[in-house]
Amino acid sequence: MDTQIKKVLELARAKINSAKVVKDLDQAYIEIFGKDGLMTVLTKQLSNLPQKDRPKTGTLINQLKKEIEERLKKKRSSLTARRSLPSIDITAPGKKQEIGHLHLVSQAIEETVKIFSRLGFSLQSYPEVDWDWYAFGSLNMPKNHPARDDWETFFVKSEINPKYGSQVLTPHTSNGQVREMERVKIPPVRMLNISRCYRRQIDVSHTPMFHQFEGLLIDEDVSISHLKGTFDYFTTNFFGPSRTTRLRPHHFRFTEPSFEVDVTCGVCQGLGCRLCKAGWLELGGAGMVHPKVLSAGEIDPTRYKGFAFGWGIERTIAMKTNIPDIRFFYQNDIRFLEQF
Amino acid sequence: MNIRVPVSWLREYLKTDLAAKTIANYLSASGPSVERIQKSATDYIFDIEVTGNRPDALSVFGIAREANAILTNENQNSQLVAPSGLKLELEPDISNPLNLEVIIKNHSLCPRFAAICLDNVKIAPSPAFIRNRLSASGIRAINNIVDITNYVMLELGQPMHTFDYDKIKKARMVLRESKDGEKIRTLDGKTRKLPKDTIVIEDENRLIDLCGIMGGQNSEISRRTKRVVLFVQAYDSTRVKKTAQLLAFRTEAAARFEKGVDLEGIIPALSRAVYLAQKTASAKIASELTDIVHAETKREIITLNMTKLNDYCGTEIPKDQAAKILGLLGFGTKITPQTIAATPPGWRANDVQNDVDLIEEIARIYGYWRLPAKLPSGQIPQGAESELAKVIELKKAIKYLGLTEIISYSIISEDFLKLTGVKMEDTVELANPLTSDWQFMRPTILVSLTDIIAKNQNLASEIKIFEVAKTYLSQENDLPKQDLMLGITLQNADFYGIKGLVENIFGVLQRDVKFEKLSNYSSELFDKSQSARVKTANTEVGTVGILNSKITDYFQIEGQIAACELNLSIIYGLSAIQRSYQPIPKYPPRVEDISAIFSKKVPVTDIISEVKRSNELVKKIEVVDIFLGQNLGEGKKSVTLRLTYQNQAGTPTATEVKQAKDKIIDVLSKSFAAIVRR
Repeated sequence: MDTQIKKVLELARAKINSAKVVKDLDQAYIEIFGKDGLMTVLTKQLSNLPQKDRPKTGTLINQLKKEIEERLKKKRSSLTARRSLPSIDITAPGKKQEIGHLHLVSQAIEETVKIFSRLGFSLQSYPEVDWDWYAFGSLNMPKNHPARDDWETFFVKSEINPKYGSQVLTPHTSNGQVREMERVKIPPVRMLNISRCYRRQIDVSHTPMFHQFEGLLIDEDVSISHLKGTFDYFTTNFFGPSRTTRLRPHHFRFTEPSFEVDVTCGVCQGLGCRLCKAGWLELGGAGMVHPKVLSAGEIDPTRYKGFAFGWGIERTIAMKTNIPDIRFFYQNDIRFLEQF
Repeated sequence: MNIRVPVSWLREYLKTDLAAKTIANYLSASGPSVERIQKSATDYIFDIEVTGNRPDALSVFGIAREANAILTNENQNSQLVAPSGLKLELEPDISNPLNLEVIIKNHSLCPRFAAICLDNVKIAPSPAFIRNRLSASGIRAINNIVDITNYVMLELGQPMHTFDYDKIKKARMVLRESKDGEKIRTLDGKTRKLPKDTIVIEDENRLIDLCGIMGGQNSEISRRTKRVVLFVQAYDSTRVKKTAQLLAFRTEAAARFEKGVDLEGIIPALSRAVYLAQKTASAKIASELTDIVHAETKREIITLNMTKLNDYCGTEIPKDQAAKILGLLGFGTKITPQTIAATPPGWRANDVQNDVDLIEEIARIYGYWRLPAKLPSGQIPQGAESELAKVIELKKAIKYLGLTEIISYSIISEDFLKLTGVKMEDTVELANPLTSDWQFMRPTILVSLTDIIAKNQNLASEIKIFEVAKTYLSQENDLPKQDLMLGITLQNADFYGIKGLVENIFGVLQRDVKFEKLSNYSSELFDKSQSARVKTANTEVGTVGILNSKITDYFQIEGQIAACELNLSIIYGLSAIQRSYQPIPKYPPRVEDISAIFSKKVPVTDIISEVKRSNELVKKIEVVDIFLGQNLGEGKKSVTLRLTYQNQAGTPTATEVKQAKDKIIDVLSKSFAAIVRR
């Protein structure tokens, strides 16, 4: 037995000494202490010895175990010991991981959704090619409304549906209003609809495709005050606490009363400058949902009221970043995209 | 529509000592918005936006009326003074009145037709105040008679026209719809071919008026004109609008007629014009008034419940104040304990039709800024968000994988469409495209993405871009299929580059992913030899690979484009992998590599699944090397697998590993005729 112990020690020492990296040492450990390792086999033999010899041999094996563990530990320390490092130029560039960019529009969408989701609004998705009924008819827009002209709105070559009319590229996200009422059926409703919209125009401040953002809230107790509170909350969070909003009378077919929402100009802080209208910038449109629109969505206008609001995402970004031409957003020059 | 209002003119009807800027602020807050204030040498000019529902405010007097209501409610010193002559007696001044025969073929074209003849007219330049005001409003002065029509239009919002009485053959006016191919030369000297069903006036045999838009040159006022027909109408607004649009010719008059004029304002406007003609052109009334009324203003009494008003405003508005505001705006009102019954004035009858309209009137004059601001108090709705909420997170993940997001137009040209290989009957085509560049709703994002790489290819060599957008495929008797897609293109990347990225993305999506060789190839976008179908949960969700040379050649791209398009609508519809706890192995594994030579045709996934199936001890199989070398022999490849043997009970023994390995070698040689390299 003594010779065996000596042999194990020798073998173990050889394994430990030959280890060049920590991994070799781990392998050595398995070969020594693993299921069929040297020590495991050796320890098993203990039970074959006569009873009287066992304590002595046991002590020897324990000593052996300690010694091997000690050696393993020492070797591990020598393998992991830090070498001293040469001095380097820490001003030379680092090795960066490659990170891409999100489009400005996506960044604004994310920020907007975050703010409104804290007020319980949830993001929904509705068609971009939709029926005339959802885009116009259900929104209290008469047949001869200018928006329904083929000068302003894109129409799709398709059969006219007897119930829903022709197919259009939605010129606004308001097609989500009646669709959301149909989805929810019984208020409360707190919806956000963000989508690509299309209008037949192109110039410095218009592209035929743009993004619009729509909010809709329907409940029993809803007033203009709630609309004002909601806008104040958004403005403070999106533009900063120094900016305020105001409502101006306006006209939309699907809201009554209707408002235009202005926010104080960030450049002149409301004093009036070249970029704004007497200290105010137009943010978007809003209003109390027209009773006819609630009826179109089969919601009882005598019991429920609501407010809706919407604006072009590109406009709000241009207001924040001073981009002079909205067409830049869709030219997709990587030198533009990589700025943000 | 915007109108320009000189403040000095406004002050003729709005008597107040407030400064122009103060008036503008009040107007913007509670009425039509003053968008800009322009300063001239002696005056200010307001540039005012008037919304489509408020044609009554498309005039200097209309703005004065609004301003007076707002200022009075604010307890500012203000008074409204009407122009002179609105109620002039329209009796002939001469004993032998002129005759004018008027025939209206279809009364729906013209709800009200008024005309009167004037004699003894002295044509001369207008007085300075008229010329100055017209020019400040953007209209060129012509002569006293023509100027009056423009002046009264700007003053009261009612367009009107004058003819030389002696140029109207047989003093006869027939108002009718135009026939196909008819032409008229208008006052601006242009001959216009009229669309069918345009409203026109004919005398004996010539068209003399393009109604509501511009008069005919053949009957215009000249220096020699002595006798004049003054002519004030309301027209079918839809028809005027349509003609103006088809002719691309929208005059100030047309813009007002399109929105509808106040039927009850026609005679006062005519009277005012006669009054001015008497004053500035020494005109005498030379005929009876012609006034053909086909339709009258419909007025209904609207009852507003005070509780509803207060519910809308979020505060209590005193009933007396509410009634007073309506009165200031010209409404007749009657108060009961709970309600206000209001009758709109003629100039608001089309616009104000129900109690919510009254709420708007009261609330805006009361002052939106006075209403409290508070957050909505009701319950937050239950229920799930759409997939779009998850898309935001996905986009961010892809950004951190090193890609840049682009957003491109969803509308593409026919050239782009052809590259996709999608059949015409499956496409969504616009009926009224803006240009041929934007004609079809795109069935794939990849063509646009490739276009963007082409446009930027001189700026970088490894452009990596992606877009998330809907694509469109037509469906019978329904809206187009509009699935949300993720498209990626990588410039100068290989198949395994894009495949690895897709694998990363499926990790982010928390879904498994498989790639299958396409046997029956359907996409024209990808190169057959280096592309694959992408599947998750046994459902096909996209394609990955190298783009076909047809598309890269079209865009003249040097090098290859690796791309993928994944259908997020389908992917999000499939449930994500639910992760549950797996005990961490107590004992270290044994790791060994095994290399073997296979036929090139054997897919690596088949090798892996065979190895996995052969033995339970193998817990992990990684491909560490694939090598194609001439020394291996024709059509051969060497594959090196890294196998991790592991057991819960303890580190596998050398014998256990050997047994497992032997079995694997056996399986590989039997299944694939592989030769294991030792």
